[in-house]
Amino acid sequence: MKLAHLWGFIVLFNTSCLCRAQLSEYFNERLSIKPLKDGKIASTLTFTTVLKNGTPRDPGLLHTEDESQHYRLFPLALGQILREYGVTEMHLTLNAGKWNYDSWGQPAEAGVGNGAELWAWIGDGALARNALAGLFCSSLGSLDELRTTSPVEVFRPEGSLPSSSLHQLRHASHPSESVCTENLTPFIKLLPCKSSAGLASLLNPHKLFDANWHGMGVHVLWHEGEGVEVRLTFQTVSDPLRSSFIRKQDWSLESLFGRKVEKACRAAGSSHIQVALPRNTPYNISPQPTVAENDEALYDIQAVNKPINVAMQYMQEFQRQDLPSSATLSIQRTLKESSQSHGQLSVILRNHQPNPVQAIYLETMPWIVQFYLHTLTATVNDIPQPSVFSNLSYIPAIPHSRPTTFHVLLSIPANSTLRLTMDVTKAFLRYTEHPPDAQRGWDLPPAIIYPLDQPRMYTPTLLVDLATPDFSMPYNVIIFTCTLVAFIFGSIFNLLTRKFVVVSVALKGRD
Amino acid sequence: MIQKFHQRLPVIKIILFLVGYLWMVAIPLPELGRTTYIDENALQPAQVSTYWNWGDVHTADKYLEDLEKLRDRNATSREYVQSTTVPHTLAYTFDRRADYIKNEFQRAGLSAATQKYSFSVGNTDLTGANAYAVSSSPRASGNEAMVIAASWIRRHDEGEEELNLRGISTVLALAKFLKGYSLWAKDIVFVVGDGYLDGMQAWLSAYHGATQSKELPHSSGVIWNALAIDYACHSFSHLGVFHEGVNGRLPNQDLINSFERISRYTGGVPVVLYDHVQDHVSLPWIPKFIRTNPTFQKYATNAKNVLRHVGYQAPGTPSGIHGLFHQYRIDAFTMYAVCAHGPHGFHALGKVIESTLRTMNNLLERLHASFFFYILTDAVHFNKIGSYLPSAILISIALMFHGLDTWVAAGWTVEEDESPSSDEKPDEKPSEAKTPKWTRRQRPVLPVLSIMAATHLLGTVLFLLLSSNYTLASYQTTSYILFTALAVIPLGAALLRTEQQPHNAPLSTVLKALNLCFASTIISILSVLNFSLALTLSITLGVPLVASSASPTTKWPIKGIQYSLYILLAAGWLLFLPEQTKSVLWNWEVLSVWFAPVVCVVYVPLVLQAAIVNLL
Repeated sequence: MKLAHLWGFIVLFNTSCLCRAQLSEYFNERLSIKPLKDGKIASTLTFTTVLKNGTPRDPGLLHTEDESQHYRLFPLALGQILREYGVTEMHLTLNAGKWNYDSWGQPAEAGVGNGAELWAWIGDGALARNALAGLFCSSLGSLDELRTTSPVEVFRPEGSLPSSSLHQLRHASHPSESVCTENLTPFIKLLPCKSSAGLASLLNPHKLFDANWHGMGVHVLWHEGEGVEVRLTFQTVSDPLRSSFIRKQDWSLESLFGRKVEKACRAAGSSHIQVALPRNTPYNISPQPTVAENDEALYDIQAVNKPINVAMQYMQEFQRQDLPSSATLSIQRTLKESSQSHGQLSVILRNHQPNPVQAIYLETMPWIVQFYLHTLTATVNDIPQPSVFSNLSYIPAIPHSRPTTFHVLLSIPANSTLRLTMDVTKAFLRYTEHPPDAQRGWDLPPAIIYPLDQPRMYTPTLLVDLATPDFSMPYNVIIFTCTLVAFIFGSIFNLLTRKFVVVSVALKGRD
Repeated sequence: MIQKFHQRLPVIKIILFLVGYLWMVAIPLPELGRTTYIDENALQPAQVSTYWNWGDVHTADKYLEDLEKLRDRNATSREYVQSTTVPHTLAYTFDRRADYIKNEFQRAGLSAATQKYSFSVGNTDLTGANAYAVSSSPRASGNEAMVIAASWIRRHDEGEEELNLRGISTVLALAKFLKGYSLWAKDIVFVVGDGYLDGMQAWLSAYHGATQSKELPHSSGVIWNALAIDYACHSFSHLGVFHEGVNGRLPNQDLINSFERISRYTGGVPVVLYDHVQDHVSLPWIPKFIRTNPTFQKYATNAKNVLRHVGYQAPGTPSGIHGLFHQYRIDAFTMYAVCAHGPHGFHALGKVIESTLRTMNNLLERLHASFFFYILTDAVHFNKIGSYLPSAILISIALMFHGLDTWVAAGWTVEEDESPSSDEKPDEKPSEAKTPKWTRRQRPVLPVLSIMAATHLLGTVLFLLLSSNYTLASYQTTSYILFTALAVIPLGAALLRTEQQPHNAPLSTVLKALNLCFASTIISILSVLNFSLALTLSITLGVPLVASSASPTTKWPIKGIQYSLYILLAAGWLLFLPEQTKSVLWNWEVLSVWFAPVVCVVYVPLVLQAAIVNLL
């Protein structure tokens, strides 16, 4: 009996050794800092862990027992979820703020839509949203069938998909999800050095969540022949000129993150800070970069003296000027609400390029706003031009169950403004479908503009007012009644379960 | 039971009228009102420390200097151009001021733009240029926004136009100041409107896509609240509140109440309703012992406020640029600096605005909770709906009772017949020796309805003619023609006058019955839409419509006098109130205020019907 146990243990030990021998892991971290043309500073922290030669679990074999996994650097909590649900590729982003493409250009990571966005290439099963919600302390559980779509043209896999089994895309976004410290803590826990060493020590919630824009992302990819990659990113846009008394765009790690890098993370294969150097203005950067070329300074954290506080000082005051947009397209999307039941969705795309741009326009709209597709009109520089549409595909919404998926390929002529308008109807909700803060309205997810061969762009989210009863009176009544019932129940329960005993203290005293 | 009720109907009607009118008089009584309170817990007014300081006051002073220079160089962006004489392009050469404001917004680091607009009223074109900026708040989705607005010309009812330079300086300084804080949860939009109401109307309709004008290049989300800043003189002693909007819509009372508390506790500035300091009302014609009575003084000050309120709300005129926001379900009011020799200036105003914005920023939902029906009697007292609505409703009930009574009376006639009949004797009294015999008679509904339809059609034609470009251009002559037409055309109804037949009720009685019922319905519907208008209508329609005499036996000269009195009541405003009429028409053309169509299509026909009742 004992012997059998021992044998089992030895076999187990051997196999795990075998696995470790096969799967080597490495971890890299990088911080890139870039000044933006409106005086703000964009910084991106990227932490990449690669499980060499790792393969995603075959979604077709989810019912059989999984082979055991052993990780050193790869985040175990995430790895378990990926194996459990057979996720091949997954992207989760939690952002707060409106990315201003005109002044800030393209972000380092494309997923910048406000709120939560989750998309994954998985087998036929359910999306691991509840497990992820638990892991990241965010309400991803609300990304249910009411919000899930499958727009494969825009969300193509970034890694490779195994050819052995069929994969499907699930995409959902939750624009009103707020992002804060409670999401950052589990994020940091996925890193090998946590926030105690290396670049991760810069993840200081006090500064990160005071930025003008911030977003965290978890990306899981599989590269065939390479392995499974987990990329954790944190992007911020900070404003050194926020106070009107500051005239210079100066920044340092301390001003951006409130911390210096005290020590390097031993687990990291490489650990770099990359700074985009300004072009047309004199500056002073300290300390001396490890490498400086092509308008870029590079610091190798493992090589330089620590603590390190990279600081940029400008010689001149920052000049605000009305520069042309730095994005391919300027996007404006508005919902004109003429009445409680109807409205008009309008999207304006300005092409600043001297050549025409082809772009996919994608709307994944919850059923509460439904399109009148026949009213879709397009004008180019105020002249009606229906020929800009091609490859239109439309999956209409089903009330109370399925969202709309609408995408169309647009060709926007050079240096011109394309204006799309479409009438929409707003749903009349059942009273149980209203959120607790019913008078706020409903957040609608961002539309996505996907210029071909370029990263996708997100429009700002929208807020729609549906016909809403004034819940204040019924709510008060409900709250009052519940309080009363709870009070009565509490007292009765107390009376029923407590044992009343007469304790004769006085007699004892007399004795 | 019903019989008893019917017998006492005349008394009941009189009591209803008396109580209704007395109730109207009693609205300003302090006993009917109550002190204001904050209903929405999220607002938390005056609970924050403010950061606005003397440095920001200095910024505002510098902006003011620049604006005064611009004014003195006469850099006007507003021109009234006769479109027939001067080409449109000339009007646009004077938009230096809007450009200045836009540049200052941009220098503060905001996305800003100008908006040119033009309205044509009659054959005059009203053009101008607005400047506005959107401050995208950190980490905010840009779905919700608050607006701080100022117009180039100060709020005024009529007469002297004063420039709101200090108000605009405040907006500019605030733009620079508010951007420096990361605590805003909603975007802040700064708008400087050209002109008085026209500029803001143009901006709002472009923002909401109500007109097919050019899209604004910068947009934010849904606007929840707006503050209009009105500060023209050197310094002020009180801050006034103006809150009436287009078509008599009012903002949620929580907003005004929060501002009142913030101004009192954070800014140390007392708040008054409107722009008059309410300590004393001088009424020399009232005996001194009454005049000096504190209860009477309280009543008189309240009454003045209520009258001003009715004066703004009944015609649906916005009492400031804030009123235009109400069209788009945005709660807004004007913060009006009441001119005085001190002690307050930019410092107090900035603090109050900052704190009010923080309160608005706290909102998780729009202001709601049915706090839209109220009459403010002063800055801290109000009448809730239950304490003022019955006044107009009682009059409306009295009209309805009288109308139904007339309708029943029209259906019966008394015949001096001795033969007893068991049926159709509702009022049979066996004790009387000679029993009157009640017999049914026909009520000519169709001809009466045709008369009513014709009068409303006449009203519609009147409205179309009045709002046409031609009338607006030459009002003097057209008004006489229209008045004459209104006086003469109803005379045609006299042709329908037929000999009294025993089996048909007279036209006049049936017309009066339907007229009264219709007027009653109109008043009760209006009372929840625009109470002041319902109040005005119940005064102008109540007694006159009841008093119209439906007896065909009246002599012709008396009929003529009665008829002309009613015509004067119906259309006298065409002759005697030309300026008011023009401004009401302007309100309709530019701001889409419903008062002009309501008067022409509802009020005038109702009184004309009463005139015809006299005639028949």
